[in-house]
Amino acid sequence: MMNRLNHLPTLKIDTARKISFTYKGKIYYGVTGDTIASALFANGVRIFGRSLKYHRPRGLYSLDGECSNTCMQVNGIPNVRCENTLLEDGMVVAEQNVKGSAENDMMSFMDKLDWMMPAGFYYDVMHKPAKLWPVAMKQIRKAAGLGKISPDFKMPGKYDEIFLNTDVCIIGGGPAGMMAALSSAEKGLRVILMESRPWLGGFFEYRSAEYKDGQTLHDRANDLAAQVRARENIRLFTHTACVGTYNNNLVTGFQIGKKSDVFDQRYVEIRAKSVVVAAGCIERPLLFDNNERPGVMQIACALRMAKTYGQLPGTKAVFSIGHDLGLEAAIELHDLGLIIDCVADIREDGQDPALMQKLMDRNIPILKGWVAAKAHGRKVVKKVTLSSIDGLMTRTLACDLVVASAGVTPVTGHITVALGTLKYDGHTGCFLPDRMPEKMYAAGRVLGLNDAMAIEASGTLAGLKAAADCGAGSSEEIGKVAKIVASLPGPARGSKLVTAPVKGRKSFICFDEDATIKNIKQALAKGFDVPELIKRFTATGLGPGQGGIPGHNLPLYVAKYQTLPDVSIRPTNVRPPLVPTLISTYAGTNHTMFKITAMDQMQRKDGGIFRNIGVWQRARYFSDDFSCKKEIENVRNNVGMLDGSTLGKFRIHGPDALKALQRVYVSDMSKVKEGRIKYSAMCNDDGCVMDDGVVVKLGENDYYFTTSTGRAGQTAEWIRYHTRYDGWDFALVNLTDSMGVINLSGPNARKVLEKVVDIDVSNDAFGFSAYREFKIADTIPVRAMRLGFVGELSYELHVPASYMQSVWIMLKEAGKPFNIQNFGVEAQNVLRMEKCHIILGQESEQRTNLLDVGLGFLWDRTKSEAKTVGAVALRQAENDPARLKLVGFKMENNGRAPKDGALIVDTKVRGYVCTARDSFALNEAVGMALVEADLSRIGTRLEIFEDECGDDRIYGTVVKMPFYDPEGKRMKM
Amino acid sequence: MKNIKRVSPVQLKSSPLKTEQKDNWDIVMEYAGEGDGPYLVDLSHKLRLDLQNGEINAITPFGIAIPDSPGKCVLQDGLLINRMNKTQASIYNLAGQDNVDMPDATGYTDVTESALCVAIIGQQVFAICEKLTSLDFMSPDYVAPFLFQGPFSHVPCQIVTLNKTGDDSGIILTCSRGYGRDMIHAILDAGDEFNLKPAGENRFRNWITRP
Repeated sequence: MMNRLNHLPTLKIDTARKISFTYKGKIYYGVTGDTIASALFANGVRIFGRSLKYHRPRGLYSLDGECSNTCMQVNGIPNVRCENTLLEDGMVVAEQNVKGSAENDMMSFMDKLDWMMPAGFYYDVMHKPAKLWPVAMKQIRKAAGLGKISPDFKMPGKYDEIFLNTDVCIIGGGPAGMMAALSSAEKGLRVILMESRPWLGGFFEYRSAEYKDGQTLHDRANDLAAQVRARENIRLFTHTACVGTYNNNLVTGFQIGKKSDVFDQRYVEIRAKSVVVAAGCIERPLLFDNNERPGVMQIACALRMAKTYGQLPGTKAVFSIGHDLGLEAAIELHDLGLIIDCVADIREDGQDPALMQKLMDRNIPILKGWVAAKAHGRKVVKKVTLSSIDGLMTRTLACDLVVASAGVTPVTGHITVALGTLKYDGHTGCFLPDRMPEKMYAAGRVLGLNDAMAIEASGTLAGLKAAADCGAGSSEEIGKVAKIVASLPGPARGSKLVTAPVKGRKSFICFDEDATIKNIKQALAKGFDVPELIKRFTATGLGPGQGGIPGHNLPLYVAKYQTLPDVSIRPTNVRPPLVPTLISTYAGTNHTMFKITAMDQMQRKDGGIFRNIGVWQRARYFSDDFSCKKEIENVRNNVGMLDGSTLGKFRIHGPDALKALQRVYVSDMSKVKEGRIKYSAMCNDDGCVMDDGVVVKLGENDYYFTTSTGRAGQTAEWIRYHTRYDGWDFALVNLTDSMGVINLSGPNARKVLEKVVDIDVSNDAFGFSAYREFKIADTIPVRAMRLGFVGELSYELHVPASYMQSVWIMLKEAGKPFNIQNFGVEAQNVLRMEKCHIILGQESEQRTNLLDVGLGFLWDRTKSEAKTVGAVALRQAENDPARLKLVGFKMENNGRAPKDGALIVDTKVRGYVCTARDSFALNEAVGMALVEADLSRIGTRLEIFEDECGDDRIYGTVVKMPFYDPEGKRMKM
Repeated sequence: MKNIKRVSPVQLKSSPLKTEQKDNWDIVMEYAGEGDGPYLVDLSHKLRLDLQNGEINAITPFGIAIPDSPGKCVLQDGLLINRMNKTQASIYNLAGQDNVDMPDATGYTDVTESALCVAIIGQQVFAICEKLTSLDFMSPDYVAPFLFQGPFSHVPCQIVTLNKTGDDSGIILTCSRGYGRDMIHAILDAGDEFNLKPAGENRFRNWITRP
């Protein structure tokens, strides 16, 4: 393992504490504070993986995970960004996208075949002959994508989530961000500061240049960080990347957990009154041949490798830069022991004279107006060819490190995602914020600033403006600080060079997708003349780096290549997540949130097999036989109990309660009589049937009604919506969860019930459609209804939810002599289907009206004064011959039941099967279907098409409904 | 009848040390290992009423004036009254007399059975809450007691913040009874890192009756 520089105050590693990890089956060691990438580098690893298309070797480049170069498989998880991921004890690291190893990849020959794969080649070739396409598609799909994961891979780790509110949210914990946080916090506001690195400091944190009065930038960063930490009203989130900014200042991010945290990653969602974007800059990659060869890296990458991780990034370096930061890095790295052969500066002039003097003092040659043209070396850099910018002169130098950067470019994704705009600035050569989103302010290097004082002052100003949005601070104070900012150096002049004077066959503009300058030219030649089109045609910027590497080079190159008079075109849109993260992080803790009934546990103990049905979990079966034969036969011949607690239940009361019922129900609800139940339905304005249920009268202006399970959540709003202009005085109370429901059904139901209750439950005293209120054991209030949904003698008992278990046990005890059994939702479904009782949503869809399903008898046409919802549409639909009709059918030749949803066809689709099952009561398969009117006549043969049945159709015949007990004697017994 | 029991939607796995029986509820007064807070207390057996009336400002349930604007609450004589909207208020008998009679007026509905009701008490209450909801309990705009009607672990809830000062911090949360299992699981899971433990009603009484 490489010896580390361990005397630097900027180090984030502890060389005394070693960490072991496994790479390619061998144990290696890093130190505490290392990232996986820095630990591998310290162990001599230079090639971390291979590129997507050409399998080119890839290595360290940005140290901030701006591209997929160092994506590796870690603990089985593919595409982990090793530049940003801290090393942990016992990690197992593997290369990805290689056949063999990253060092010796058998697929590396692909690099020679780039001529076969011009931009958009898959749009041009492989289409003819057409037969070739499926084969080609298979091969392309096999080759596409980085990393592999099994579909049943279980993601290790704990993923949490947190939802925060704040006054001011600051994105970026560099000097501008910290100053913004301090100035907002000074006003007593709640402030959240997000920083993607594990520590604060940003652009200052790893630099030893002078800040002021002998203080280094690094020390200044520490000072500011201490001030931030000391403020109670600043909540600090380090190692927390911002991934999205949305309307109304919703900011999202993800935080990497420390060892002491209970999470590995957590999703962070912040609602802020105001936002400051102080995300700094990244370096704009320099475009030259083999610009992504391992050994080529950006300035901050090279410098931070030394200053943060204590490793020299090479032994002999050539710099090709376009920014003073490159000169500063050359000086610092030279002083730390790196041999620097030459510094080629794109700029002819404009360098900081003090830095130039320092370079000269160290005898480091400087070539002004020169640039790297080609990196040499099959796997890693061995030498580099420099060229004058005009391409007339070249010089080749041996080296193992090329520090290359065209300049800096602001990180503007947070602004553009929130619909702010950018504008090209000719002075800096950057796209700078133009129109900022409401209550969002930019600060620091995002504005193109480079001077330390100006960066800090701009942060203070942004913090004050954000505070003002929250009602704190004064415009006078803002004006004062604005004046200070104006008096400080503004944005520095930037390099305009886009590409070295090369043809660009191997000059990569997007590392993730292996897109070259040549590819961009090819796209332009085909007429794709704007970056958004080129992006899609060449895949530039579509990789996991989220456009970080090509983001600003692409529009600049397109403008240059088309010799546009100005750079009027814009960078392509970036979208969340601005920084890639795991889907598990977005999923968060992902608590299962379902409703259960009071009978849940007891039914599970009784062997209930549960299914998620809407917001509820319900017992659908009580055995592995999903035909539910025993459950069904038990209800038909004996007695069963169903937990129907999910039914919607409401109280409506008040002087105008009846008017409200008249409005939403199709029937005349004034006919609801005490002691009787009334079945009715609700339609929407189109006459389409939305809901059905029963209504009972509890007292004067006081009603209790039920709705279907699925509609319970919307019912109160539905009624309020349809009475919103009437000013009626009524109150609605949702009692869905308040009351449990037990359906006691079967010919022996009465015998069971009479053992539990004190009232007379004979048919004479408590007949079909009757409603009774009574108490069990003088304690438990029950609302009981005689209904017949399953076509047998049935009692629907509405019981306070807390008493449900007690009543259930009582009925079970009472039913023991009859061998009472549970039945589930599927058995109920078959039982009611045999009786042709519909379930809305099963025998209807959103276009099905009341008349289609044969419920027209519920509609009272005489109550026009009620303005019944849907009545107008029903009148129009009444004589419409084109509507579907609900019919019953049985299968031919005693065939099996078709699948629910199967189509009724002839030469076209004529309807569909709603529900069909093999009926044990009838000994044949029956079902209900919605069909066109001319197919609804009794005796019509229905041709049924099921998924993937090909030409093998099955047939049924329309028959009379209901199938079972057509006279309804059994439910009225 | 001895076999008749009322079952709370909140099932806590800790072992009860002291229980009391009231109106067929088994109420746990103290659990083993309640810890030092924060605490989760089941109050689902406490009487809760819904009041809806177009003239609600003129009504004084149990002699208490209903707060005049939605979101405001009043806690008096152990009774908590929360103004929900223009015409509606909820009333919780948290520490008032047992077996209070339902008021006579028709606008009242007993909704005790409709919802689970828990108290979460202790300094870390809002750290737990922010793992489950984006509601802004700590906004200086809200002075306790106040009512939020919004999502908590994605479920619509009524949440009353009774106190947001240090150890005395605490909320009362109600949501549809059916969510009992999953809501309690979500709260305990979110509170795990803060050592949130189930506690008996004694703990709640001590808290609510603090001066």
